[in-house]
Amino acid sequence: MDAFLHQVFAGLAAGSIYASLALALVMIHQATHLLNFAQGEMAMLSTYIAWSLINAGMPYWSAFFLTITIALVMGIAVQRFILRPVRGTSVLPLVVVFIGLLVICNSLAGWIFTYTIKVFPSPFPAEPMFGQRYVSSHELGATAVTLVVLALLYGFFRFTPLGLAMRAVAQNPVSSRLVGIRVGWMLALGWGLAAAIGSVAGMMVAPIVYLDPNMMSGILLYAFAAALVGGIDSPGGAVFGGFLVGVLENLLGAYVIGNELKLSVALVIIVGVLIVKPSGLFGTVQVTRV
Amino acid sequence: MNATPAPLLEVSDLRAGYGPTRVLHGITFNLAEGSITALLGANGAGKTTTLRALCAMLRPQGEVRFGGRRIDSKATEDIVRLGIAHVPDGRGTFLHLTTEENLRLGAYTRRDRRSVEEDFERVYGYFPRLKERRRQQAGTLSGGEQQMLAVSRALMLRPRLLLLDEPSFGLAPLIVREIFEIMRTVNQRERTAILLVEQNAAMALALADQAFVLETGRIVLAGPADAVRRDDAVRRSYLGY
Repeated sequence: MDAFLHQVFAGLAAGSIYASLALALVMIHQATHLLNFAQGEMAMLSTYIAWSLINAGMPYWSAFFLTITIALVMGIAVQRFILRPVRGTSVLPLVVVFIGLLVICNSLAGWIFTYTIKVFPSPFPAEPMFGQRYVSSHELGATAVTLVVLALLYGFFRFTPLGLAMRAVAQNPVSSRLVGIRVGWMLALGWGLAAAIGSVAGMMVAPIVYLDPNMMSGILLYAFAAALVGGIDSPGGAVFGGFLVGVLENLLGAYVIGNELKLSVALVIIVGVLIVKPSGLFGTVQVTRV
Repeated sequence: MNATPAPLLEVSDLRAGYGPTRVLHGITFNLAEGSITALLGANGAGKTTTLRALCAMLRPQGEVRFGGRRIDSKATEDIVRLGIAHVPDGRGTFLHLTTEENLRLGAYTRRDRRSVEEDFERVYGYFPRLKERRRQQAGTLSGGEQQMLAVSRALMLRPRLLLLDEPSFGLAPLIVREIFEIMRTVNQRERTAILLVEQNAAMALALADQAFVLETGRIVLAGPADAVRRDDAVRRSYLGY
């Protein structure tokens, strides 16, 4: 029973990371109707920035918040300088841009920081907290950090004029323009926020999987699965999907298929959802009149 | 020289289209401050295109001045900030947001918070049904309520000029009458100028001070609403008697 509980908690901790990355995917999807394949690599690059700051002697939490800010600016810059010029074209050029971004981020990290695996520090104590044995302090802390980020985002979108404007743009850009919202900047801000969320996911997962330029590739796959399970147009669904995928992955890995095949769980979930319920658990069903 | 004030909106030789298709072939008209103007014409005449060109939803050629300033090369967002509110074709409702959020977006560019709160009460006064439904998702409102919401969203800007694209479309006659009554009230109380595109020519002419008739992208008739109503061709084509 102890081992089982441990797997569940570890799954929830991993799930919190999938949840934040899935949320970042959903935010970009709402603006572009595409999946950003480079989301994970952007997060990885931000994590390297955090690593450099910490190695330069900056205290962990200062580096943490500075990295989030840098990621935000980076996300905005990516939208303004790379995506905006190809807007209005068809889907394929955008997909190529996303893949290009993925490759560029990956190579950039390899070129600057080399492909050697690095240890990334955790801000949480090494011993389990609160007198329990099921979950390490880092897993608990990472989950808490993720939940705080999600709560902040919810508050931002729900209660601030800027958040309302961003939701409006995601739904109806034409009408948004007609009430005076600067749609281009809202899209850029969406990219910035997604990159910022991704950077938190990167910094929280790096102490577990170690830092290297390919650390996010598997995680991005789980995040895709999470976003699809929850419904690609549902932020809440993406978060739920993240936790669900985390737990499923851990339990199946521990008891059914073994750790080596764990990643295939993500693929099975992706294909399964697309076949059985393409709109996901909380997504809206798209109906097209012909 | 007469002392008529400068018009609120001056449009000269406005041309616009979609891709290679030209829709407007150079139209020229003025709107006076606080006036109601009806823009009539058959389907495809260019009525909706005229409204879209005025607020830069497509790139027009020609000259448009609003309050004396050129706006024809400005972005839509900036034209809105000058005080032109557009209720577009299809109403432009944010279907997944609540009624209240839709209205709040209408006042997005305004910084005078207190009078925005007053304006909520003002539009709820015009359309009490929206107040009952203020926490409801806009997509669940009836067609009439959505049209009221679209007009109210535009009013939340406190516009100097209101562009209305077929407010009667698909609505029961009773609701159309209610909305037209409110338009008249808004115009009289707040001196908001209105440019009204309508298929329902009889109602539009009853409300308007002046009217234009568009035919395949050109203005073929212009004048005071009464004169346009008495025009034989208009009577036959648009009023049906």
